[in-house]
Amino acid sequence: MSISDPQKSELERLTAILREAHEVQGVSLWADAWKRLKRNKAAMLSLWTLCVIVLLAILTPALPLQSPIFQDVKNRELLPPALDSYSLGIGEYDLETDRLRAEARKLEVGSAEYVEIQEAIAARQQTHPIDLYWNNPGFITRGLIKLRLAVFGDYCIPSIFGTDKLGRDVLSRVFWGSRVSLACGFIATLVSLIIGVSYGAISGYLGGMVDNIMMRLVDVFYSIPFIFIVIFIMSFLSSPDIRLTLQEYNIDQIHVFFLLIGAIYWLTMARVVRGQVISLKNEQFIEAAKTIGATRMQIVFRHLVPNVMGIVIVYLTLTIPAVIRFEAFLSFLGMGVNAPDISWGLLVNEGVQVITILKTYWWMIAFSGMALALTLFALNFLGDGVRDALDPKLKNK
Amino acid sequence: MQVLMFLLKRFGWMIVTVWIVFTISFFLMRHIPGGPLNGERVLSEAVRARLEARYNLDAPLSEQYFTHLWNTMRLDFGPSFKLQDYTVNEVLAQGLPVSAALGILGMVFAISIGMTSGVISAVRRNSVYDYSFMLLATLGIAIPNFVLAAMLIVIFVFNLQMFPAAGWGDLNQIILPAFCLGAPFAGYIARLTRTGMLEVLGNDYIRTAYAKGLSPRTVVLKHGLRGALLPVVSYLGPAIAGILTGSLVLERIFVIPGMGSHFIEAAIQRDYTLAMGALLTYTVLLFVMNTMVDLAYSIIDPRVKLE
Amino acid sequence: MVRFLRKYFPICLLLLAGVSVIWAVNLGTLPPAEFVFNNGTEVKTIDPAKATGVPEGRVINALYEGLLRSVPDGDPDELGRTPTKPKAVAMADDYRVSNDGTVYTFHIRDNAKWSNGDPVTAVDFAWSWMRFLHPETASEYNYQLFYAVNASKFAFVDLQEGDPVEVEMKDRPVPGQMFPRGTVRHGRLVSLLQPHDDHQSAADDGHGHGGGGISGAAIFVVEFQQDGTVTTAAYTTQAVESEEIQALVNAYQGEYDLSELTSVEHVLFDFEHVGIKAISRNEFEVTLNSPTPYFPELVAFYPLHPVHRPSLEKYGDREFTKPGNLVGNGPFLLKERRIRDRLRLVKNDQYWNAENVHLESVDVLAIQSETTSLNMYLNGQLDWDTKPPNTLIPLLKQREDFVSTPFLACYFYRVNTSKPPLDNPLVRKALNMAIDKQSIVDNIVKGGQIPARSFVPPGMNGYESAYCGEYNVQEAKRLLAEAGYPNGQGLPTIEILYNTADSHRDIAEVIQQDWKKNLGVDVSLRNLEWGTFLDTLRVGDYMVSRSGWIGDYADPNTFLDMFVTDGPNNQTKWSSRAYDNDIERAKYESDPAKRMAIFKEAEQRLMDEQPIIPIYFYVSLNMVNTRVKGFSANLQDVHPLHLLSIDSRGAED
Repeated sequence: MSISDPQKSELERLTAILREAHEVQGVSLWADAWKRLKRNKAAMLSLWTLCVIVLLAILTPALPLQSPIFQDVKNRELLPPALDSYSLGIGEYDLETDRLRAEARKLEVGSAEYVEIQEAIAARQQTHPIDLYWNNPGFITRGLIKLRLAVFGDYCIPSIFGTDKLGRDVLSRVFWGSRVSLACGFIATLVSLIIGVSYGAISGYLGGMVDNIMMRLVDVFYSIPFIFIVIFIMSFLSSPDIRLTLQEYNIDQIHVFFLLIGAIYWLTMARVVRGQVISLKNEQFIEAAKTIGATRMQIVFRHLVPNVMGIVIVYLTLTIPAVIRFEAFLSFLGMGVNAPDISWGLLVNEGVQVITILKTYWWMIAFSGMALALTLFALNFLGDGVRDALDPKLKNK
Repeated sequence: MQVLMFLLKRFGWMIVTVWIVFTISFFLMRHIPGGPLNGERVLSEAVRARLEARYNLDAPLSEQYFTHLWNTMRLDFGPSFKLQDYTVNEVLAQGLPVSAALGILGMVFAISIGMTSGVISAVRRNSVYDYSFMLLATLGIAIPNFVLAAMLIVIFVFNLQMFPAAGWGDLNQIILPAFCLGAPFAGYIARLTRTGMLEVLGNDYIRTAYAKGLSPRTVVLKHGLRGALLPVVSYLGPAIAGILTGSLVLERIFVIPGMGSHFIEAAIQRDYTLAMGALLTYTVLLFVMNTMVDLAYSIIDPRVKLE
Repeated sequence: MVRFLRKYFPICLLLLAGVSVIWAVNLGTLPPAEFVFNNGTEVKTIDPAKATGVPEGRVINALYEGLLRSVPDGDPDELGRTPTKPKAVAMADDYRVSNDGTVYTFHIRDNAKWSNGDPVTAVDFAWSWMRFLHPETASEYNYQLFYAVNASKFAFVDLQEGDPVEVEMKDRPVPGQMFPRGTVRHGRLVSLLQPHDDHQSAADDGHGHGGGGISGAAIFVVEFQQDGTVTTAAYTTQAVESEEIQALVNAYQGEYDLSELTSVEHVLFDFEHVGIKAISRNEFEVTLNSPTPYFPELVAFYPLHPVHRPSLEKYGDREFTKPGNLVGNGPFLLKERRIRDRLRLVKNDQYWNAENVHLESVDVLAIQSETTSLNMYLNGQLDWDTKPPNTLIPLLKQREDFVSTPFLACYFYRVNTSKPPLDNPLVRKALNMAIDKQSIVDNIVKGGQIPARSFVPPGMNGYESAYCGEYNVQEAKRLLAEAGYPNGQGLPTIEILYNTADSHRDIAEVIQQDWKKNLGVDVSLRNLEWGTFLDTLRVGDYMVSRSGWIGDYADPNTFLDMFVTDGPNNQTKWSSRAYDNDIERAKYESDPAKRMAIFKEAEQRLMDEQPIIPIYFYVSLNMVNTRVKGFSANLQDVHPLHLLSIDSRGAED
């Protein structure tokens, strides 16, 4: 016991120092940045706005909204914003099913009438309005919709944003569109992050010939007008054969679309990361890692990458709006998401198609355009704020 | 000499880039179902075979690839499938000036508006001008140009009736699209100018210049602006790429018969040759512009070496 | 140098910007035209022999003129539509038909001139029609002339031993250009040598220039008679050295002298034996296989407009359509053409009736967006908008500048009769009766379209359409039950295919709802982009598909001959011997009333079997500035530009 005491105290002392050093460093980089960010009112406002938007997008199925895709051409075509109440009518549908069930109970099991009613009930359940109104939602979405039905019943927020030319509620479409647009922004950016950071870090760390070739390749890619290639690929993907193949592997066209956008936005990220890695790779902590026998990949991904996270985050906040804008742009050209999926770009496009001198259906474009602009605006402001906060050298810029 | 080497090297890389783009898009196009010969009426087999032979669509794919590559190398993109009275070269020759005119005007808008407001913001730092210009700049960056276009159409075309709704061939018809095209870049440029100027104006030699008794106007315009020019010029590369893609949408909204319209139509209608021609033209254009920006950069900043 | 540039960089930049702005701004401004209209899309070509669409027709009818012209003529019918008739108010000032209805003789007017002053002669027509039919032209519309004797033989290279042939040598004056042709020798096909096994295979492999009706390798042994001496020669349209030809040579070496086998451009059925002839400078004679009452309509149709041979031979097949090169014989000349922007037409002073052409200049725009087009119209940039968006039609209908009338076109669904359960006519009939067509017309397309109970639209001269039943849910249910699917039970999901455009999706969705609601049939929708859509339709990979058909001429035949067995536009896999017989019989029937009765019988077969489900008959939708005079709502929605004029008094809108 006594022999180990000095060792232990020595260990404790060193651990304490390490912990302290760790804490001090940890606090100083990120907390400092956070502190600076908090002082930036515009950025904070943007941050909160974005949080609200993202939260709403996630919870959209649980909100008391009308169906984003159900059409009622006869009665509700292009209505201006109004406060007329609207009911989903799912309650009635379920009541009717229940009535049938009750009737079935009265009948003798196995009789012809009983079988008929049971079949009718099964049919009713199979073609439940949930599938009709929300286009066969997935598991989580269905759960949220059921929650919404349980809480709000048939109540819907009136069409305060008006309806479109097929009688669909614009408010609901804007909300559902946000899900695709934001998901696209985040997923595609994530993809670009993974590709860009790996590529840049590897290129920068290995250096020499490899670096040279990899960066030349990036130069080549820079001069490829990717938008055009994406247009090609999108029309390629929308062909039935390809779609069927994708469906077999359970891949949605929209996911490929996200990946595609991500795959073309990594170039600048790769360059930035490479520059940072080159300046970092001769630092002592890398030498230290080498001496304890870390492999190259370990050094790159365990030691170098975490240290370039600051600049990566700055760049990230700039990529997200760019990607969202790009998605909108493609959907606007009719090359992006396909119906029944909705995105803001698609909505704006629908809006542009009905602005005429004769009659301006302003609500078709105003709300989706505003949602898109607000999100991008907030993202931009936040991006500026984060950059200022993380990189004091860039302050005032 | 150095410049010449640089250009030669770049030219080499351009060839590589063009070849990559060509190969990717060639095989992509040929694998898309539906071909350029599909029309509203079904062709009889005999006519179809004739047409396939005429456009060399019946040869094996590899043979088509090399024939097409060889022709492309000779700058002959062949006849257009859907604009039968024209060769692709003629279509591009008509579309390119239109897009170029739109792009140049957009760029001029972007630079003049952007730099002016940037300079004002920098000089009147933290004033109302500064804040409102910077707010507008961020707004310009944030709003996609087609939303802006729709808004401007409602205001200037429908309500004020200052401009025609769409079309091409008149000065009136070019202003609105060019402005929409330039707006986001004006925003970026304004911010870059402001930052660049603030950095320069904080330097010692500016104080010296003031001390020498130079008028503020001279100091700002001669020294400050020079400092702001560097980041702006380095931004021109991505800006040009953005202008090229941005014009796709605006050409569509304002019915402008430029390269973008041709490309999108060609892609939709499976006009193989025209789509390929437009794609390669865009590639070369982008490459040349990037090279020119690099050259310009080395001209204004002696520290930059061409590599 | 660099130093200089560095110093003056901002100034250089400014200068560069200034110069380019001046250049950009001056880029080809055109003075405004007197009359501007939107053609809806860029025309594919203005070569009459190669064009196919309605927009192309509008332009070609202005630039060229056929023997006859379809013009609005006569009193409006009960729907306010003026009938259109092919009349000799064009290149021909008169025509005669032989008593048996098979020989047409056109007299070309003496003052018919090309725009460069050359006279338009019967020879021009004979030559142009030859070019139109020539296999190398590969005209999509060439079947329009197959009514003429031997025309299809010429076009398809459908040769039998003993047929007269023309051989075009490989000595074209301009290599790679079809006209002027190489030396043409006329002779008689003595023997046609082909490999024995694939004698019957249908498709041309595309390598030979002669093939079409003749597949693969072939050697033509042709006999020439000149001044009483008979010579024979052997030809092939492929390379003599090619493997297939050498194999043929080896196989037939003993029977024929093939030592001087020559490779030639074409061996075709001799055009001199096709029923298309210039008898004299002014007399042009066409001999038909059978009396074809609507032949005058075909003659007035734009693919048969003549082209100017000297300019075509000078500039080549593509270049001759360029402004400056193009020599036409129509009321207008092509002044300028900007791709996907506009065609500028100006009045042709050489036109025979130039004094009655009122418009001095016309701009033909190619705007695809319906909304933009309408905006430009409302803004005064257009005088005539051909396709206002559906959404706004209820508003536009109340305006006096909205000119709309039903015309000869049908919106219908094709049913693939090879796919169960749609192979059962009862199912198809049930599907038809369960569609509320009136609601589609009222709520979706809104332009006053007519719900269709037949395939042939009303308004055909002397024709009374067949009938496929009203919207009748009870009867539809009964039919479906009779087919073995009571309440839709056991019926697989039916898929509706449509192309991504216009209101197709909306209509498909209404029908989806109708079938589900009325019959209990599950329906899925599949939309495809146009190019892919056509491909899918062609290979028959669909169940139910949206379609449309615009009549080429005012005769039921243009609608009904589509659905003969294996007709290229049938695409439903439907086949009825009786129907084919009817259509064939109608061809040879010269009594108009009897002929129409045969057509009605045929259409009734179509409606009873229902390989197609008619939905509605189109209406033409035109917005026309009130200052434009001479614009009439008519049966074929044709509005010849030379009949229009501008009333300047009504200029202030």
